[in-house]
Amino acid sequence: MDRTNPEKPSGLFNGIVDWMDERFQVRTLVQSALHVKIPRKAKTFYLGGITMFLFMVQVVTGSLLALYYQPTPDRAYDSVMFIMSNVNFGWLIRSIHSWGANLMIVSVVLHLLRVFFQGVYKRPRELTWVAGMFLLIVTLVFGFTGYLLPWDQRAYWATTVGTEIAGAMPFVGEFALNFLRSGPDITASTLSRFFGMHTLWLPMTLAAMLLVHLVLFHQQGIADPTKPVSRAKPDASATPEPEGKLLPFFPHYLLSEAIAWYVILGILIILASLWPVGLEAKANALQTPAHVKPEWYFLFLYQLLKFVPRVAGVLAPIVAIPLLVLLPFFDRNPELKPRKRLFAVIIGLLTVAGIIGLTIWGQFS
Amino acid sequence: MKHKLAISIVSAVLFLLIGIITVSAQGSDKAILSAPTSTPAAAADRVVTTTVKSTAKAKVDTCYDCHAELLDKHPKVAADWKDSVHGAAGVSCADCHGGDPTLDQMKTSMSAAAGFIGVPDRTKTPEICGACHSNVERMRQYNLPTDQYSKYKDSVHGAKLAEGVTQVAICSDCHGSHAIKKASDPTADVYPLNVPALCSRCHSDAKMMEPFNIPTNQFDVYKSSVHGEALLGKQDVRAPNCASCHGSHDAKPPTSAEVVNVCGKCHTATQNYYEQSLHSQLKEAAPKCWTCHGNHDVTKPDENMFTHTASTEPVCTTCHDIQTLDLIVDKAKFANPDDRRCDTCHHQDSWIYEQVLSLKSAMTVADLAYKQGDVMIAEAIGRGMIMNDAESRLAEARTSLISARAAIHTTKLTEVTKLTDKADASAKEAQQMASDKLGENLFRREAMFVAMGVIITNIGILAVVRRRLYKELE
Ligand code: HEM
Repeated sequence: MDRTNPEKPSGLFNGIVDWMDERFQVRTLVQSALHVKIPRKAKTFYLGGITMFLFMVQVVTGSLLALYYQPTPDRAYDSVMFIMSNVNFGWLIRSIHSWGANLMIVSVVLHLLRVFFQGVYKRPRELTWVAGMFLLIVTLVFGFTGYLLPWDQRAYWATTVGTEIAGAMPFVGEFALNFLRSGPDITASTLSRFFGMHTLWLPMTLAAMLLVHLVLFHQQGIADPTKPVSRAKPDASATPEPEGKLLPFFPHYLLSEAIAWYVILGILIILASLWPVGLEAKANALQTPAHVKPEWYFLFLYQLLKFVPRVAGVLAPIVAIPLLVLLPFFDRNPELKPRKRLFAVIIGLLTVAGIIGLTIWGQFS
Repeated sequence: MKHKLAISIVSAVLFLLIGIITVSAQGSDKAILSAPTSTPAAAADRVVTTTVKSTAKAKVDTCYDCHAELLDKHPKVAADWKDSVHGAAGVSCADCHGGDPTLDQMKTSMSAAAGFIGVPDRTKTPEICGACHSNVERMRQYNLPTDQYSKYKDSVHGAKLAEGVTQVAICSDCHGSHAIKKASDPTADVYPLNVPALCSRCHSDAKMMEPFNIPTNQFDVYKSSVHGEALLGKQDVRAPNCASCHGSHDAKPPTSAEVVNVCGKCHTATQNYYEQSLHSQLKEAAPKCWTCHGNHDVTKPDENMFTHTASTEPVCTTCHDIQTLDLIVDKAKFANPDDRRCDTCHHQDSWIYEQVLSLKSAMTVADLAYKQGDVMIAEAIGRGMIMNDAESRLAEARTSLISARAAIHTTKLTEVTKLTDKADASAKEAQQMASDKLGENLFRREAMFVAMGVIITNIGILAVVRRRLYKELE
């Protein structure tokens, strides 16, 4: 689509694009955003894109739920019940939102693991990684705040134990607990707070962070996990790749991404149809259920807290998260191949195995 | 050796000193203290003496002091007493055994002159306990009843004891002698959950029961009854133990005429219904609770209790006195659970038999509708449907069904069908709701297949386009 081409194709679509182009130079914009080339050796498994797709699904379904949901303790449960039984396709929207949340956690973690094990967080992509870590945290907080909203027994008690984890922190524990619950107990104020976070703060934060993440990503292009970027010659693209080793981002890469999104959409529909999300009895502060557990993605932490000293268990993530955020800055080994960064890979594998083990253990205890 | 001697001398001197000080300090109380404590005939006097003495006891109790230090079982007896309700309330050794706890010489403190009686005679024990426990003034502070002794005298146990039969249960057999606990203490033998085992200690002992010619299988039978399972299995203290029907201190089997009131203590609604029935007006010939439900072996009733499963020959003498043709109940006939049916009396040729069949079918129909509703709701829940509405409708059906079961005791078909119709209607509504939800679930699955079809087609098209693009690239 060369702008200088005198024989412009005609038609309504092109007419509109021309009109826009004259005013906003959209062609250049799209050109620079889409018509880039990426290394053929890059393997993203489309996980970042899938996470982004799931976020968009969450925004759409969440906005629909918000049309009926009422964030007060005496109305929340009934309004969710109303969505499930009286609103047309309400069950589907809520079930997709719930399954979408779980899948988003899965895919963001897989995305992180892909980036970690390929070593592509290293120079020059440090900031993309940092932005990504914030996206991970925001995604987890999304899950945590959303879980309370149905105001059923499971929601109430999972939030009770979840906030207690935060309350166990040394020095700031009490403050953290009071801040999260908006008081010492889980009450109407907690629900307002969680609702406000879940529907205003977090979506805006995530969208902004995602924009940063994608702009950074776009500026550097997808990393080639077979080619370390040397410190001496930071600009790897200085020696241009031969054409044969490159792949057009559009339409080739994006087409595969689209197929991946379709697959995820199909999985979401199957999950929501066969296993629609349920609703337990209405929250009752006076009746503790026999087995109180947080959501599965916090289970490893909950389980860890059961057998290590409380302070150590709570401090572990407080130490681990900043370490993980700053990983690209102290992992100065430029190598990408797993064989050449054994230490990092082994620590990574051990951590993953530990978290999976603790989660399974927590599930069955 | 030398060492021991020294200690003994020192303690003897100390003991003497303390004795002199306390005795002189008690001054004028002394006369009452040394009064003989145990002439059983003067039970009322005894109570007064013990009341006063127990104040003094706080200062000196040579019984305890010595027995706690003796060998053998003595220290345990002393410790048991100390931990018991009596130990806590200051009821001392001498209050039951007599003797003078202020004297430190065995010969005098445990002498007949000091009123010492040793181990109380079994025939005298209830009277000794009753001396305090019948005293309203003494028991008021503990909020304890005072009628146990008079009840006991009226019980089978008490009556036999009065005849001189000493094997029967006396106070200490159930409550213990030294380690007496509150009845509300879960470790006490008389705590409701422990009562069946307590009674069975004697009543399951064939040798012990032989002279009295009573059965010994009640505990085993009771254990597997609804009542036994609730009490012993679910630890539900509301369920009846032996004493709930037989009484405890006043233990006696309820007579046939009393049974309705005994069961009605808990089954109030059923009793009300029963009293509206013709059955209840038959006096001696009336079928009672036990006729259909048994006694120790009460099981969960169901619709099979109306008629025999196999056809049976009616026996005239089950219900008719063959001479006078009066109505009677042949109790022996109902010992067999299989014969606890309406058609044991209302045989197939009787005009009430039709009514029995109608009752049975009304109950069966409603019960079936309820059970079917339950199954359908469970299935819908299993498929992830939210079924609160249907569940509460089914709960209504259940309430009506339970009321209908109770109303069977009126034997009035209209009373029962009013309730079974209601149960049936609610259950059918619940079924309808469940089948709507199951239908909706089916629609969801079908719609899922359509959506998947569209998605897979799209993926297919994109895959083809992708193949072509990549080929172009080569
Ligand atoms: C809501 C969460 C996230 C979204 C929507 C997201 C989205 C994306 C997308 C669309 C890409 C392009 C490549 C791909 O599809 O894999 C990408 C790349 C990247 N992401 Fe994320 N991401 C998220 C979280 C994270 C996290 C948690 C990390 C790591 C801590 C991370 C680190 C990176 C890095 C380093 C790249 C560049 C990889 C490369 O150039 O190959 N992202 N992200």
